Amino acid sequence: MFGLIEPFTDVNHSFFGMLNQGPLTLTIFLHTIIILPMFWIYFSEKKRLNK
Amino acid sequence: MANKNVSVWTSIPFWRRSAAWVTGFATILLIWLTFDTLGQITMGTDADLKNGVDKRVPAATVINYKIDYKMSTKRGHEVPVIGGKQLFFGKEWSAKEAADLLHLGKLTSQAKNCMNCHTLLGNGAYYAPDLTKAWLDPAWQNGGPLQGMTGKNTVEEAMAEFLQHPSQYPTHARMMPNLGITADEAKGLVAFLKHMSSIDTNGFPRNFSKTVDQFKSGGTNAH
Repeated sequence: MFGLIEPFTDVNHSFFGMLNQGPLTLTIFLHTIIILPMFWIYFSEKKRLNK
Repeated sequence: MANKNVSVWTSIPFWRRSAAWVTGFATILLIWLTFDTLGQITMGTDADLKNGVDKRVPAATVINYKIDYKMSTKRGHEVPVIGGKQLFFGKEWSAKEAADLLHLGKLTSQAKNCMNCHTLLGNGAYYAPDLTKAWLDPAWQNGGPLQGMTGKNTVEEAMAEFLQHPSQYPTHARMMPNLGITADEAKGLVAFLKHMSSIDTNGFPRNFSKTVDQFKSGGTNAH
């Protein structure tokens, strides 16, 4: 898929190794999963304040 | 629910929850990464070597094997290839002997502060050549100038001779000083270097073969 995920070539298999094979790096992955839940925090706070 | 004019950005609970999420997630992630790294850097065993199991860091007995460094098209860089048996200082070392020798080499490398000038596995200085793959340096192989100047016939004997009397040999514009390394310590250091060259460093230092080709075509330094 757009070359984002490439075959695993490292010696030892690991979850973070898989993320580091292509352009989808650890940095992009971590930013994604840290920041996405913050949208949920934002909207739930907004809902609470609106009440 | 009426949409009142409220600002989430000035809400303290919002920042508190965000901070808790980021801190908590980062803590769990760091713990996970620690255990993930342990698996990557754990030394292999003698049985792994015998059974041809690839480990990033092979057992100390790797000093009994020939170590090659080959381009892997799959991985896009060079990887150490452990070949057939090769005597080290004229003998085959048992697991205990090899581990003790490597330990002595590691302690000596720390005591003599090699990293003050050299780089080992990415740590240290670039005042003197990178030692990560020094064992594979063609200048130390048969017919190479560094082996030739010591008058020895094997890589390990040539390196051990040089390490005991570095200031006698013209190697580099910045010559290595005499550090008072004993014969046993020199053996340990050479074992340490041989083992280090067998560690899979994801191709670090980069372009080793390119610099080797430059060296063979008349360059002065393989690193």
